[in-house]
Amino acid sequence: MVEDNHNITLWGEDIPWLFGLREKGRQTTKAIGLPNAKTEAWKYSHFAPTILDTYHIDTTPHHCDENCHCHDEKASTPFAAYYIKFCNGKLANEHFDLPAGVTIKSLVEAIFDGDAKAYLGKSFDLEKFPFAALNTAYLEQGVMLTVERGTVLDRPILLHYHQHYGTPQINHLRNIFVLENRSKATIIEYFTAESNAEYFNNLVNEIYVREAAQLQHYVWQNEAVAARHVALTSVEVRKDGTYNCFCAQSECVLARHESYIRLQQEGAAAEVNGVYRLMHSGVSDITTNIAHLAPHTVSNQLVKGVVGGAAKGVFQGQIHIAPDAQQTEGYQLHRALILSDDAEVDAKPELEIFADDVKCSHGNTCGDLDAEQLFYMQSRGIDLETAKQLLIEAHINEAFEKINDNNVKTWLKKNF
Amino acid sequence: MVLLKIENLTAGVAQKEIIKNFSLTINAGEVHAIMGPNGAGKSTLSYVLAGKSDYEVTSGKAWLNGQDLLQMKPEERANAGLFLSMQYPVAIPGVSVSNFLKHAVNAKRKYAGLPELDAAEFLKLLRSAAKELGISAEMLKREINVGFSGGEKKRMEILQMSLLKPQLAILDEADSGLDIDALRVVAEGVNKLRTADNALLIITHHNDLLDLIKPDFVHIYADGHIVRSGDANLALELEQSGYKSFLEEV
Repeated sequence: MVEDNHNITLWGEDIPWLFGLREKGRQTTKAIGLPNAKTEAWKYSHFAPTILDTYHIDTTPHHCDENCHCHDEKASTPFAAYYIKFCNGKLANEHFDLPAGVTIKSLVEAIFDGDAKAYLGKSFDLEKFPFAALNTAYLEQGVMLTVERGTVLDRPILLHYHQHYGTPQINHLRNIFVLENRSKATIIEYFTAESNAEYFNNLVNEIYVREAAQLQHYVWQNEAVAARHVALTSVEVRKDGTYNCFCAQSECVLARHESYIRLQQEGAAAEVNGVYRLMHSGVSDITTNIAHLAPHTVSNQLVKGVVGGAAKGVFQGQIHIAPDAQQTEGYQLHRALILSDDAEVDAKPELEIFADDVKCSHGNTCGDLDAEQLFYMQSRGIDLETAKQLLIEAHINEAFEKINDNNVKTWLKKNF
Repeated sequence: MVLLKIENLTAGVAQKEIIKNFSLTINAGEVHAIMGPNGAGKSTLSYVLAGKSDYEVTSGKAWLNGQDLLQMKPEERANAGLFLSMQYPVAIPGVSVSNFLKHAVNAKRKYAGLPELDAAEFLKLLRSAAKELGISAEMLKREINVGFSGGEKKRMEILQMSLLKPQLAILDEADSGLDIDALRVVAEGVNKLRTADNALLIITHHNDLLDLIKPDFVHIYADGHIVRSGDANLALELEQSGYKSFLEEV
């Protein structure tokens, strides 16, 4: 894949540090290859590397007419937001209508201006993340968002990624979100597509939450059924900062949401909650790695899943507590409903605790719908199918309740 | 008018016969009590009548309003007028009382060919029914039976009964776990719902509830069937002599 395409021309090849970073991505990809059955972090959701050869990278500029669905703000969300739009993996906005204290630049511009240099590729090791290495080799598309010190956003920033039907395409998308001290923002990433589109979104977000800053991050991978979506969200949280993420995954070939979170300083906190529901086929994967690197750090995770047909759900949750990270708390809970014999759920909690004064717990349950609950509803006249739907909704709703923003909660609950 | 007719019913669970050759007829306007010792299979009888799938009927027949009860799905039985107030109502985390009951009420309306109630109409109905039973509006927002006390659960069962207006209500140990005040609330709730067109089947192993809801017929149940039937005085007799003397008659 890399060898086939490395002669494509990307913007900024004459910028030495950018060239160096891309080259490092390329070399890492060559060295480690793509994940296979032996790659622990991809044990349950790897796929044949040759599949990548079916996608091409589109280096042409963004073109779409005014009727393009992704330009219609009303089609996105029922509430007001600051819109950033991607169409077929290309940034489609020319202007951003933003309040004071917030800057959004295309990644190209942020690289050109030098803003991105201190952040790009700084929050994780490429060697650990094969698709992020590949993403780095091709980085060009994306945005850099900076919320200045003390700025509190009055409405969410919505990144809406839309894919049209066309030749199967791979989009390497790279964003940087920086929340300076005591700033507060909500970022929604919403992925949609024409129903018959075939594509691969390979996304990397690098997020920097500075002192006492708060980020609510919502992701809805509402991709086309034939889509693949692999995302790495790498987050650094400093003193008293908060990073809260909620990820919703709908039916597609592969949806992977990987969170790599470093709680670097005292008082840093993170949550990763999510839901997945695949009733026919495909793989849904929520993988987390949360490192408590300082005392008094807290993390919470609640993931609720539903699989039917021949679908597979994966939850891998790693909590690492460093030796001096005393008085930390790390909680993790994954519950899945398996509604058919051919459906599968793989769950792998991993707790590495090197401090002695900590509170940690993890839990996993997988099972069918409760027969007693179903009978209770039927005995009140509710037909079996409706009773099942009610129980599935109830199962998922427990995770939706973790969403702090009421607009987002209502929108997701209604449309998921 | 015959509401429920059971003829020589034999049923059980996992190949084990629990109900043996059981017969009973209940007419509109009547209150029947089935009394029996713990473990006699009284709850099994209620589950078999409500259609719980774990239980298998091996022989016998049952009709609800002339319809073949045993051929009906549990939800059809409910919509056709059968209601089972359970001894241990199950908690359903994530489903609110009001959402649950809205589905139940509308299912019954749909079955009867009536238009479904919208959210506002239903809420009005629910609130007024809840008020009658001293159930707060706050409680209706809670997840059904989750963290409810014994009394709250039983009151919730009676609330459901009052909304669904069954023709035949089976109260399975409706008094278990209740103090005397809670018992009174439940009994008053049930008594208010009594009409000449509906009937009650009270399953219990002691007299407390029967002091408050007067039965027309009392049946002593042992070894899977009725061993003796009588009027309300039979319950009093039972209270004095205990089950032992009746069981010896078997």
